[in-house]
Amino acid sequence: MIRIENISAGYLNKEVLKNISCDIEQKDFFGIIGKNGAGKSTLLKILCDLLNPYSGNIYIDGKNIKSFSKKDFAKTISFLPQYVDTSLSFTVSEFVMFGRYPYMNIFKVPSNNDYTVTKKVMDFLNITDFLERKINELSDGEKQKVLIAQVLAQETDIIVFDEPISHLDIGNQNDILEILRDLNEKYNKTIILTLHDLNIAGEFCNKLALMENGSIYRQGTPEEVLNYKDIERVYNTTVIVKTNPISNKPYVIPVSKNKIKTG
Amino acid sequence: MPNKKFLVVYILMPMLILVVFLFSLASGSNGISLIDVINVLFSNADDNISLIIRQVRFPRVIIACVIGAGLAASGCVFQAILKNPLADPFTLGISGGAAFGTTASFVFGFASITSFFTPFCAFIGVMISVFVVYCLSMQKRFNSNSMILSGVVVSYVFSAAVMLMFALSSANNIQTAFIWLMGNFSTFDERLLPFVIVVVIVGIIVLSLFGNIINAISLGDEKSKTIGINVEKNIKFLFLTASFITAVTVSVCGIIGFVGLMIPHIMRKIVGANNILLIPASAFAGAIFLPLCDTLSRVLLAPILIPIGATTSIIGGSFFVWLLLKSRKSMS
Repeated sequence: MIRIENISAGYLNKEVLKNISCDIEQKDFFGIIGKNGAGKSTLLKILCDLLNPYSGNIYIDGKNIKSFSKKDFAKTISFLPQYVDTSLSFTVSEFVMFGRYPYMNIFKVPSNNDYTVTKKVMDFLNITDFLERKINELSDGEKQKVLIAQVLAQETDIIVFDEPISHLDIGNQNDILEILRDLNEKYNKTIILTLHDLNIAGEFCNKLALMENGSIYRQGTPEEVLNYKDIERVYNTTVIVKTNPISNKPYVIPVSKNKIKTG
Repeated sequence: MPNKKFLVVYILMPMLILVVFLFSLASGSNGISLIDVINVLFSNADDNISLIIRQVRFPRVIIACVIGAGLAASGCVFQAILKNPLADPFTLGISGGAAFGTTASFVFGFASITSFFTPFCAFIGVMISVFVVYCLSMQKRFNSNSMILSGVVVSYVFSAAVMLMFALSSANNIQTAFIWLMGNFSTFDERLLPFVIVVVIVGIIVLSLFGNIINAISLGDEKSKTIGINVEKNIKFLFLTASFITAVTVSVCGIIGFVGLMIPHIMRKIVGANNILLIPASAFAGAIFLPLCDTLSRVLLAPILIPIGATTSIIGGSFFVWLLLKSRKSMS
């Protein structure tokens, strides 16, 4: 279980997160939503120990993340940031192997086990047919799968994604999300991710946190969080919330302001 | 595939070095043939030819190989840790420091005391510039932008100081200082040779061993930190190691441009971006390229000796023009 306790954080003199507390249970599919600049990515950075908070603590299974060694932390929680440099001509299999670095010695020489794990991961993601291709020659959808393979090769129980689908088409989006759902349901991974698409958040996540101006405005199940009052207030717009007839999850439809006046 | 590349790098390239080595020993104005060279190397003859080969050309070709390797390998590392394909061993102000130290040694007359003083002063100059860049970029987070910025600032300050010294000095050995600055293999002190060889080879081995970590650093700060890499500590170590190699080469032979920029570029096209292979490949390629350039500058306008720095810059410059034209053609 992850416990975020009274976290305040920011960059230089600008405070971005204001006294945030929240619990993430094991096996949660935890979505963080909110406007641009609400502090979603910053919260993930704090969680992954990439940024030092002004105050507050984060505990994973009761252990403060500041007391982990870098290697042990990398075996506990893995992170796919929005930006990873894929411009260099590494092959896909070389690229996935980076995920095994926490398990390697000082000069990062892969062991047999490292090869076995990366092979398993690439099989799981169905990317074995292009593992000798260059990472900088792949399409965005393929690239994202390779990046996820790299994260999975880290074999952590907790996986954090910063907007994993924002630049993909709807087919690739669903592909990636189904993979994440599989990981969550079949492999008992705790998934934490930021999302822009409220409908996807409602459809796939079992917990949501709606952020506004560096605080968590509301958190709970999708049904609790995705109601038209909270969304209209936080996003400052007009929406209708309905229930998806197949999955019984809430979905959000934007309404144009003109239509409200005339209709 | 990777095995094929390993073969190319570790078998083919050392063989090429050997060929270039023999060729460089043989070429020159004295009508020495390749057979003479091989005879001299395997016998103890004491005639004129063997004297020229053993005492003049042999150290010269050896130092060209070693320095080419050192510059190419450290250039490769600088490009990776600065995440900038236009970086080279001199991006971070090392050339400025070396020029400053050398000029000072000539202008203030240290050079005339003993020949040992020029490399010594150059080395001190480089160490000052490395230290300043290190401290400046430490002020904030140790990242590539702050390093490049500090390097540029240090370069400017040092070149201003060099110009000032040239302008105010009336010493008549400014010409010598100038030639030295452009890089040359003619006047280096042979007693330094073993030291240079050891530093450069050990340095290249260390850098190559860190190839995988350099790979991870190139993924970007956030990613490399979350796979358990201590990015800042490694960058500092790599920066200091690569700077030290460059410092040693520059102190002995002056500023030889373009090797550290161009060789890693070419080798990246051939062996790919994986630094575990790219660093040794660049080192080997540097050890092929620089003796060839040196031979060219000895032979081309003989008996006039073209400064080696000028030769590499002309070849390097034309190479980049060609690269630019080629990429423009493929774009249109």
